Amino acid sequence: METFLTNVLQIALAIHILLLMVCVWRVWRGENVIDRLIAADLAVTLSVAVLVLVALLRNSSLYLDVALALALLGFVSTLALARYIVDQSIF
Amino acid sequence: MEFNSGFTLVRQLLALLAILIGTSFSILGVLGFLRMPDVYTRLHATGKVGVFGVVLLTIAAVNLTLIGFGKGLILIVILLFTGPVISHAVSSAAYRIGIPMQGVLRDDIAQHEAEEA
Repeated sequence: METFLTNVLQIALAIHILLLMVCVWRVWRGENVIDRLIAADLAVTLSVAVLVLVALLRNSSLYLDVALALALLGFVSTLALARYIVDQSIF
Repeated sequence: MEFNSGFTLVRQLLALLAILIGTSFSILGVLGFLRMPDVYTRLHATGKVGVFGVVLLTIAAVNLTLIGFGKGLILIVILLFTGPVISHAVSSAAYRIGIPMQGVLRDDIAQHEAEEA
């Protein structure tokens, strides 16, 4: 059971890294600026998922701290970029 | 990899189910992001990755290894609160810089602004 669970976790990690590569390609070749912004936000969310899976595989809660900080930084940066695109100024 | 002692088979099966459902939600979100015709419908698809995919993976992590229960709970709360805020901010920015909608039936904001003017 444990080896089966480890294999499932490794396959899920590989799938998430593949989806992350798709999102990075979409940031490079997006249709318009909002499309690229959505792709960057989705890349941050998938990075949080990858960090949670690594925390499961390595059995260490240190990676959950990194995922928490990355989720907060992604929230603030996406919000600031969305305001900057409209108003040409953050505040 | 070594799990903590004291877990049962039920807990392992629950974590396995959460991992499978979360991974399929991530795949569906990215597929919708690639295939949808419009910025606003793409936002609808990508919201699912943050709310269902990562939250279910975090539930699996907390349930399986009992590491960082409080940290996992805080991560779930942060994801559930920041996802709608980001979607609203990005779609508001897209409307205000004038990105067109595909197949629009009615536009309440334009109608309201025409009535105000």
